[in-house]
Amino acid sequence: MSAVVDIRLREKTAERIVRITLFIGLALLPMLWQGQYALGLLTLMAVYGVLLIGLDATVGYLGQVNLAQAALFGLGAYGTALAVQSGASFPMALLAGIVAALIPGAVLSLPALRLEGPQFALSTLSFATLSVIILNESESITNGAMGISIIRPRLFMVDLDARGFYWLSLVILFAAWWASQMLLKSRIGLAIEALRDSPTATDSLGIGTLRHKVLAFAWGSALAGLAGALHAMNFGYLQPAAFGYDLMVMLLLGVVFGGRRSQWGAFVGAAVVAMLPNLLSNRTLFTGLVTIGSILTLLPVIRRVMTRRVPIFREVAPAVAMAVALVLAFFASNVEEWRKGIFALFLFSAVVGLPNGLAGAVTAMLSRLIRFAPDPLPQAKGGIRSPEIFAGLPLHVSNLKKSFGGVRAVDGITLDIGQGETLGMIGPNGSGKTTFVNLVSGLYAPDSGSVEIAATRPVPGSLMSAFSAGAARTFQNLQPFSGLTALESIFVCQRDGGKSEAMGWLSAVGLEDKARVLCSELSYGNLRFLEIARALATRPRLLMLDEPAAGMSRPDILRLVDLVTSINRAGVPVLLIEHHQDVVAELCDRVAVMDDGRLIALGTPDQIRRDPKVIEAYLGADDTETEALCETEGLC
Amino acid sequence: MDAKYLALAQMAVGGGLMGMAYALVAYGFQLTHAAGKAVNFGQGELVMLGAFAGISLSGIGLPYWLSVSGAMVVGALLGWFVERIAVRLALQQRNEGWILLTIIVGLFCVSLVENIWGREDRPFPTPWPAGALDFFGISVTWPELAIAAGALSIMTLVELAKRYTMVGIAVQAVSADPDAAELCGIRSRSAISLSWAVSGAAAAFAGTVIGPVTTVGPTMAAALTLKAFSVAVVAGLDSGFGLVIAGVALGAAENLSGYLLGSGWREAPGLILLILALALRPQGIFGKKIIRKV
Repeated sequence: MSAVVDIRLREKTAERIVRITLFIGLALLPMLWQGQYALGLLTLMAVYGVLLIGLDATVGYLGQVNLAQAALFGLGAYGTALAVQSGASFPMALLAGIVAALIPGAVLSLPALRLEGPQFALSTLSFATLSVIILNESESITNGAMGISIIRPRLFMVDLDARGFYWLSLVILFAAWWASQMLLKSRIGLAIEALRDSPTATDSLGIGTLRHKVLAFAWGSALAGLAGALHAMNFGYLQPAAFGYDLMVMLLLGVVFGGRRSQWGAFVGAAVVAMLPNLLSNRTLFTGLVTIGSILTLLPVIRRVMTRRVPIFREVAPAVAMAVALVLAFFASNVEEWRKGIFALFLFSAVVGLPNGLAGAVTAMLSRLIRFAPDPLPQAKGGIRSPEIFAGLPLHVSNLKKSFGGVRAVDGITLDIGQGETLGMIGPNGSGKTTFVNLVSGLYAPDSGSVEIAATRPVPGSLMSAFSAGAARTFQNLQPFSGLTALESIFVCQRDGGKSEAMGWLSAVGLEDKARVLCSELSYGNLRFLEIARALATRPRLLMLDEPAAGMSRPDILRLVDLVTSINRAGVPVLLIEHHQDVVAELCDRVAVMDDGRLIALGTPDQIRRDPKVIEAYLGADDTETEALCETEGLC
Repeated sequence: MDAKYLALAQMAVGGGLMGMAYALVAYGFQLTHAAGKAVNFGQGELVMLGAFAGISLSGIGLPYWLSVSGAMVVGALLGWFVERIAVRLALQQRNEGWILLTIIVGLFCVSLVENIWGREDRPFPTPWPAGALDFFGISVTWPELAIAAGALSIMTLVELAKRYTMVGIAVQAVSADPDAAELCGIRSRSAISLSWAVSGAAAAFAGTVIGPVTTVGPTMAAALTLKAFSVAVVAGLDSGFGLVIAGVALGAAENLSGYLLGSGWREAPGLILLILALALRPQGIFGKKIIRKV
């Protein structure tokens, strides 16, 4: 459609240039836009910028609706105010603000981060309500609802005026932005994004779900405290009510409006949250903006109607919301009375119409107009290797039992896997194979019996502990890290080495040409190979493949057989659960057959094929049926 | 009985009866959560709008019962509307946007109320006698009894309808598996819309019974959402009548801590208990444990 311009610049570099230009512009802005009022707004924008970059760590990167940020901001502000009252210097007061938010944030994070979705939102909301109550009621310390006043201390003998403080806030915003970007683009950041998509996978691959969640939350809380400290020194007067639910809603919506998972988005959101209340007081400006908004939201609807298609909800709803705002702009006698309602209308159109926020929409538009030079791919290094030498058997299971209600899913299994062995596990649907893998990998705790992996006994029911012992697995129901590229999903799982080694693992499973592709865009078969590569990259002492060939095409199955053969040759012990009998027969040294939670046979593929119990379990005793099924299952 | 204990018992009973209203609003959460795995973070605003609708309908001269029914119709329409504009799309896209969108719709409702009915608190007119009943020295007012009776009867009616009518069974099928239900010829969307409408009607009804005890004003919404949501989550989002116990306990705890610690601390113990309950039993006290499958 439109011409794409090629630019010999990497996206990263281009972003950096624009960002630095922005900050220089912002620093120079007070020369053009003069007056105390303008300066106050700009400072507020910088403070909110820090706050929203922090909020984005949980709302965007962690993907959880965090309603505690306004309260943490308040706690930080009060921490600074109290420190200043007791005579702390400027840097100490800033530090006090950070600590005052970080400690309660950390305490909250431990129970809250075990929760998901609405439960997480609720626990943060209760924390926020509780914080405001405490600030209000501890009158002897905070002076309660009357509020608290402070005078800004000097910074290293310099008495900062309003402009000086603005510049300081800008510098801090720049630093917070840069540090967040570093942190969230690093391996830690990738881990945080990975656990959002599949906490089970991040735990069973040893990335550590909880510690990364706590880290993201702590980082967000620390930035909230820092922003609170700046806020206290900027205004010099604090009241608990200012940090309540209304501010929280504004902040949350700022992040969503600007665009999640992006420091740019957080900054745009901060600018909107800081400036919007002032827009409403200028009627002409407000009416103009609403008119522009209405036209912009109407355009997609008109385009639909012109091409004779029925407009869809995502396009109609924002247009309707903006139309209501337009009606208010022209007919309401006092627009400020409708402040909340108008916010709501704007935000509704933004959330529905721009699901990736303003920053996301602009990025999408730019990527249609400009093609940046791609980041070079690293040279592939390494590949499938034998595991480090360890004592004992890779897997020793004795008398393992697990019931769900009345169903005995695994009923007394005793099994060993030898050094370098590939053990196949077959059995009809519902015979307990996946439950067995879930018990060994620590997703479930067994009712009784024991699991030993490489001569260590992991804590029952702990994925991380089973991983530390040396287990790694793939999943029957795929658990991809949808927001990461193929290369990144390997890199984040790797035990050692950098991007080159990650590339090495990718080429070992034949996905080297998919390195830059997002997991959400990979095909089903490729995702299965990627899961194997992910597990291999952790250098396991026991690799468990849970139905790797399920749903694979014929050529992919051949590729899989080659891959498992080379894993086997490298000496990695494998537990292979599989329905395709020919695959099992070709790859496995021994085969275990499960039925109804029990092990009914164990031996070489040839022995198993002839075992009467196996034939009965698979095919039933009836002879005519046996023959028919022999064909399909390829068993006899 | 000792006068001090009597006062405490009085507080607990009053709070417990109020807690029945929280349970009723929480029941609305349960209904929508069962049907579509989403809840309305602006449910408190529906309670408030229901109460104001009731006041206005009484104001134009309708008898009490008709204005309560009218408020419930308004609530049902609003519940349906919230699902349509704020929840359906986000759930199709499988993201958490519905939390934000329901908050946004709630925000708009508050603004609407502020501009239509004003910011002042208002009394809610009822036909109940003014006096109080006396049970072993504990006095209970008629409006308080109306909360308990109303909440219990609404919940019982809906539960019966869920179990013994075709529509109710269809809704249960959708909550178990919407795709399978569609394959059996049930319109999942209609079932989900119906759940939201019933949830909205329950919220509006709660508004009409809470109104006479407290008063009705635009600030009542936010606190109510949090309390009712706490009740729903602490009891477990799929726990049925477990909510009544949790609701009564929360109401009583709130009143007692307000009495013992001072009115500013009213909500604190409930909140601490909520965070603890969530940390120790995320599925709720009466909820079923979820088994992770991979």
